[in-house]
Amino acid sequence: MSLASEPAQRAWGRLRDAPQIGLAAAIAALFIIFTARQPAFASSFNLFAMGRSLAVDVVVGFSQMVVLATGGMNLSVGAIGVCCVMCSGWLMHSLGLPPPLAFLLALALGATLGGLNGVAIARTGVNSFVATLATANLFSGAMLILTRAVPINRLPPEVSAIGSYRMLGFVSPPLVVALLLGAALFVFFSYSVTGKEMLAAGANPRAAALSGISVDRSIIVSHLLSGLLAGLAGLMVVVRVGAAMPAVGGEDWLLPSFLGPVLGGTALAGGSVAVLGALLGATLVTIIRSGLLVLNIGNFWLQLFLGLFLLAAVLAQRYRGIARARLE
Amino acid sequence: MTAVRRAIGGDWAGLLAVLVLGGVAAAFLSPSFLTEFNIYVMLRSASVAVLVAFSQMIMLAVGQMNLSVGALGGLVAVLFGGMLERLGLPLIIAIPLALLVGVAGGLINGVLTSRTGVNGFIVTLATGSAFTGINLGLTESKPFHGVPREFVALGDSHWDFIPALLWPPLIVAPLLGVFLYHLKAGRWLLAVGGNPSAAQLSGVSADSMVILAHAISGGLSGLAAILAVAQLGAAQPETGAGWLLVSFAGPIIGGASLAGGSVSITGAFLAVLVIALIENVLVLANVDPYWVQFMLGALIMLTVGINRWRAIRAART
Repeated sequence: MSLASEPAQRAWGRLRDAPQIGLAAAIAALFIIFTARQPAFASSFNLFAMGRSLAVDVVVGFSQMVVLATGGMNLSVGAIGVCCVMCSGWLMHSLGLPPPLAFLLALALGATLGGLNGVAIARTGVNSFVATLATANLFSGAMLILTRAVPINRLPPEVSAIGSYRMLGFVSPPLVVALLLGAALFVFFSYSVTGKEMLAAGANPRAAALSGISVDRSIIVSHLLSGLLAGLAGLMVVVRVGAAMPAVGGEDWLLPSFLGPVLGGTALAGGSVAVLGALLGATLVTIIRSGLLVLNIGNFWLQLFLGLFLLAAVLAQRYRGIARARLE
Repeated sequence: MTAVRRAIGGDWAGLLAVLVLGGVAAAFLSPSFLTEFNIYVMLRSASVAVLVAFSQMIMLAVGQMNLSVGALGGLVAVLFGGMLERLGLPLIIAIPLALLVGVAGGLINGVLTSRTGVNGFIVTLATGSAFTGINLGLTESKPFHGVPREFVALGDSHWDFIPALLWPPLIVAPLLGVFLYHLKAGRWLLAVGGNPSAAQLSGVSADSMVILAHAISGGLSGLAAILAVAQLGAAQPETGAGWLLVSFAGPIIGGASLAGGSVSITGAFLAVLVIALIENVLVLANVDPYWVQFMLGALIMLTVGINRWRAIRAART
């Protein structure tokens, strides 16, 4: 249309290129298909249950996203998560601490373990993949040695009360926390100096260092934040299950942690984050998981679908980049 | 002289010393360590692990990584079991077919990685999930027990303390050595791992080397899976679930460079034996099995730290 001004066209182009639109469309389509096949899918109970597990997936994705921002990766998200789960359980059960204090201390443990990752990577200059693969096994191993893999079931009743509390009939409190966290992360990466420095360090470490940014500090902060978020995701599982289980997290979180951010358009090379995309990516994963369950397709094929989705997202991201490069 | 010194002075001399000293210490600490049966069991579990380590080592050689080593192994194991039980194929056909599945899975990884230029980590994370999904979807987590008796017997057979299953890794190791250091393709593969752009400038196609490495990696994890079936006497869907850590621990502790282009076959082999020794000693000492995981993590960290320290010291002098 000749009437469309150039900025409007450019904005439309940007919108069309954004992976978020495709994701939102896929989410809407799947939601409609699943509800048509099985009306119980949209029941307030199923929405509540989905929201509760979505909150965990979202935060697990954020935990990986903040490290991807600096161009690294964190394979110990699940290991840190389960350490915080067991730590909070031990504090409440054995020391009798009230839940809020126990949760705060568990989060502090998560941040500390993440910080250790960051320091190990920044100090030694080792590939973040290998460093966090090693620490993941250190953390999980230490947790299993200390707890002997025995779950802690007797937690104060308030803990599971948070998990089963429903706002407006179908909204789970952890989901609200996850959404607020998304908003906070968006502000952090868009406006705060530390957040912008992290992105600059991820985009081009040498240039960032030359312009006076401490790349090491950015790496440490990103891992510290990642550990904190992994711990938070673990605590969300504690309130959902009402117990501290040593089987939470671990390698089961590896795929979801990458799925959300990568589906949502966060670049693996570092230097950019897509908070809304990560939220939508996690939503897509949760809908597929719940849909397959409700339709009785069985969980066995779930991993195949998730793998193919991740592959498709990566390929789409890649070819979108090539197409754009050709246009310019 | 220099050849001898190079042979004994390599990075793996330290590992050999650790292995020998550790073995002597274990023999003193526990009388059941040096029994024929114990050594046989230890070497049998190491046989699978050595191939798993080689499968990752070839990827580190070309400067990439493969997160789907275990998932592909699991898929090969159940397809192999299915071929034997459901289709009733003879071993002589089922074994090559299973290896072919491994190579094909590797080729998929290689083509996807090199064609798209996407980080191999994320590609193999995705394909690994897909392989596991196919495995679980087909088997619904139920193992195939209909493995021919002679194959299970082969998995149990041993000559003195040497298990029959140790032969495949003992044959593969020198073959890999010939390939990497004496064949043109192997040297190109290492060259691409060491410096992709320089290799590309001298006319080596980095893409085809990445595809080749993935194909070999897939074939090796397939071979490891076949050995695992022989070892367990059944095709378990969860075969390969715990391979990720050892696949990296073996080559890295064995002296492979994480930047690519340099690996040590003997080093990786010895590192897996050291890991098997540690596991064995912990079991004999009745220590929590969870310590194994902790120790492996610590060992990788230690190796990486030592290498870093050496590099810094070398840069100073």
